[in-house]
Amino acid sequence: MILFDFELERPDTAADAVAMLARLRGDARLLAGGTDLVPNMRAELVRPGVLVSLAAVAPAAPETLSDGRLRVDALSRLADLERSSAVCAHAPMLAESARAVGGNQVREMGTLGGNLCQESRCLYYNQRHDYQFAAPCYKLGGERCYPFPTNKRDTCWSVHMSDVAPALVALGAELEVLGEAGPRRIPAEELFSGNGLAPIALDAAELIRAVIVPAPAPRSGWGFHKSTVRGGLEFGMAVMAVMLALADDGKTCASARVAIGAVRERPVRAPAAERLLAGAALDDARLAEAAAAAAKEVNPLPHHGFTRRYLMDNIRVHLRRTLALALDRARGARA
Amino acid sequence: MKPGAPEVHPTHPKVTDPYSNIGGKSETEWGDVERGFAESDYVREDRFESHLRTHGYLEPHVTLAHWEGDKLNVWTSSMGAFVKRAKLARTLDLPYSAVRIHKTYVGGTFGGKIDLYSHEYCAARLSMITGRPVRIVASREEIFSAFRHGQPLAMEIKTGVRKDGTIVAQRIRVINNSGGFRGSGVVVIFLAWGFTMIPYRIPNLRYEGFSVYTNHPVRAPQRGHGAPQIRFAIESQLDRIAEDLGIDPITIRLRNARLPGERLPNGDNVHNAGLVECIRIAAGKSGFLEKYGRDRRSPPQGTIRRGIGIGVSAYMGGTLIYPNGSAVIVKMNDDGSAIVLTGAIDIGQGAETVISQIVAEELAIGMDDVKIISSDTDATPQDIGAWISGMTYVTGNAARQAAGNARDKLIAVASERLGVPVGDLAAKDKVVYSTRDPSARMTYREVIAASVATRRGDTVIGEGYWRTMRDEPNHPSLATTKGRWTENYAFSAQVAEVEVDIETGEARLVKALTVHDCGFPVNPALVKGQIDGQISMALGHAFMEEVMTKDGYTLNPNWLDYRMPTIHNMAVSEDADVITEQYRVGQPYRTKEVGEGLVSGILAAMANAVYDATGVRLNSTPFSAEKILYGLKALEFEQKRSQPKETVGA
Repeated sequence: MILFDFELERPDTAADAVAMLARLRGDARLLAGGTDLVPNMRAELVRPGVLVSLAAVAPAAPETLSDGRLRVDALSRLADLERSSAVCAHAPMLAESARAVGGNQVREMGTLGGNLCQESRCLYYNQRHDYQFAAPCYKLGGERCYPFPTNKRDTCWSVHMSDVAPALVALGAELEVLGEAGPRRIPAEELFSGNGLAPIALDAAELIRAVIVPAPAPRSGWGFHKSTVRGGLEFGMAVMAVMLALADDGKTCASARVAIGAVRERPVRAPAAERLLAGAALDDARLAEAAAAAAKEVNPLPHHGFTRRYLMDNIRVHLRRTLALALDRARGARA
Repeated sequence: MKPGAPEVHPTHPKVTDPYSNIGGKSETEWGDVERGFAESDYVREDRFESHLRTHGYLEPHVTLAHWEGDKLNVWTSSMGAFVKRAKLARTLDLPYSAVRIHKTYVGGTFGGKIDLYSHEYCAARLSMITGRPVRIVASREEIFSAFRHGQPLAMEIKTGVRKDGTIVAQRIRVINNSGGFRGSGVVVIFLAWGFTMIPYRIPNLRYEGFSVYTNHPVRAPQRGHGAPQIRFAIESQLDRIAEDLGIDPITIRLRNARLPGERLPNGDNVHNAGLVECIRIAAGKSGFLEKYGRDRRSPPQGTIRRGIGIGVSAYMGGTLIYPNGSAVIVKMNDDGSAIVLTGAIDIGQGAETVISQIVAEELAIGMDDVKIISSDTDATPQDIGAWISGMTYVTGNAARQAAGNARDKLIAVASERLGVPVGDLAAKDKVVYSTRDPSARMTYREVIAASVATRRGDTVIGEGYWRTMRDEPNHPSLATTKGRWTENYAFSAQVAEVEVDIETGEARLVKALTVHDCGFPVNPALVKGQIDGQISMALGHAFMEEVMTKDGYTLNPNWLDYRMPTIHNMAVSEDADVITEQYRVGQPYRTKEVGEGLVSGILAAMANAVYDATGVRLNSTPFSAEKILYGLKALEFEQKRSQPKETVGA
């Protein structure tokens, strides 16, 4: 039950929604699938005066552009991504990452853009605060951090748990952001501020209109893994997404993108790991070395009962396996 | 607990130990434990801990109360209407007759709805003040953070054995982190003693249980109520002892298992205990000894290791505790169908189905001819409730007796009318007939009409009453454990097969085998349902579920972060009955518990299977990936250290 009053607006177009957001500024929140926003409203973590519903804006079907890129409407439901032949053929990692989200009901409601713009999470933050942890934390405008009491006011180590975001970062995707001045393009990575207090680096009057996934490089392969406790209906312990491309010789790594989600305030790249991979002849030892480097450099935050030490070990092993999977795909050794 | 520690509440006046915050103590001893240890060939001590879990009933706590001036009507999600009435009436200082607990369908409890809760009192009191109906529904977040959870125990176990693995002496200390009030914290330390002494012979035992007040939510019983914790500890240690002595896990269990007819230390008798057969069948059916140790002896390629483990458990059913007994009334309708009045509550376990089956069987009528009116403190007779694992035994026998009483009346009337001695009459398909001359027959309709016509209007109503051990005065003492418990002890042996990824520590239950002696399965499909549900619950206990807390506050008050298993996590669950009792029409029968004890042996079996797969001994639940992984790393470190250094230049 939502225990406060709010208005519901239902603009006809995305541009109207942006204009409305500009007019209302901070008092409004966009409502797409509602799978993140509505629970947060129930817990009164956000108390918007106005919800700007995007229900009247019908999403376009995912389409392959003439230059080989894939354009996916940000209002596409996560389940639509799994079902889209264009997405499955062109960016299967995006489909797989969408399939990793929540359960069936969440994926039927949740949208691509909404999944990217979800709030960061922390056990202390994600609950009502009427009788326990009642004094607000920094993220709620208060004066303390419960899990990390020595953190300063400007630091919130809540983690961003989108499963789709690391996949898009690894894919080198761009986001089409619509604001008052019209659309702009940003790399997917730039959506995230890196600060758990306000993890999404969009203006209050901006929304994500579409996701553009580049055409896959020749001899490229992907790998995606979400570490969990029960294998479904949960956020990740750590999420790993990689994209490897091989040079003409079929052995040397031409490029590598490694993104890790759910362990920091934003999905993070692993540049040291990428440097170990790019330009190298890839064998098991090199993949293991890169995975170990990534586990170290992402410096996971302990979250949801998982220790930093275990998260590093989990990433080290599963990232190595995920890299091996991507390499197999790049070599054409598996679908 | 430390002497002098700040007091949540004063230590119970009867507890003489110098500890702070002791809400209650259970204590018992037999034999001579110290001499037992001295006479043992091998003694080992271990400490085990269990973690905080919760019940996970899907229907939240919900209560509707309506005060009508002189009558309080209450609809509440419960496990027994009569115990609720007693507690609510006493709390509100109302006569029992002024409180009516109505029937509700219950969406799961698992122990979490036994106690009288504050929302039930508040709904009632508010309705009495306002004269309006008051309904209170707990949110899931409230249930997780302000209602009652299960009981985390710390268990210290010292066991002395002979060379052949025979237990000589055992000293057990159980400490319960019981939360801010007594709740059922003092019950679980008593029950943990019971679950210690049932399955194996322990000639010398000293047991102490402490329930300790802490700054935590109050605890409630949770399915198994102490059994999963203490069996996990004892069965884990028994495997270690077996290994230390070079005995296999099956042999050591068979050597100590109770035999039929054995008398327990509390004076009860295990009667036709099927434990030995359970262990034998579990070992045979699972191929235990062929599989045991296989992956440790010759590790397979890859990172997955498979292990097998066994755990034994036993459980009492239908024990003496308020209201101690059940009564059932069977009213015959003019057409020969029957209406059953029973206080039993169906919480999903199938109470109404089983009672209908028994009435139909005894009356020789169809299930469709039985209608049940249940769980209403004004309309139905008193019932023990669905919380001491005895409904099929206690209420079932009362139903059998009530239906038999009605049948006897039908036969008596038919005997008069037909001129056939009672002994020559039988009943089948709503007809009473002579076994010597089947043409001498009367339908039930005719018999009932005759009864009304010839017996001053008497219609046919049967009454039945049951309680375990009619000559025993009361339930045993929680403090001293003195006093008898029940006639019904169920036994089981469970085998778990797990897979562990040795690089990440991630583990899962692949296959479970439950071999159980539930006496006689009145409804095998319901028994199977109980088994599968308990396997699912136990694997959540082992690998997934944990109420995380900080300073007594709940950190994960939702289904997202309190991870119960989904259907995809369910393991293959096989089972076999060891049938030790029979059901015969007109005869008392002895069914045994099957609805909660089976979360126990399988938990121990999973711990033992993780060891078998990896060599890692887990002394605490849950068996998280992290614990298993760092257990593996510690073993690796040990192995490296113990290997002799290579000689340089040899």
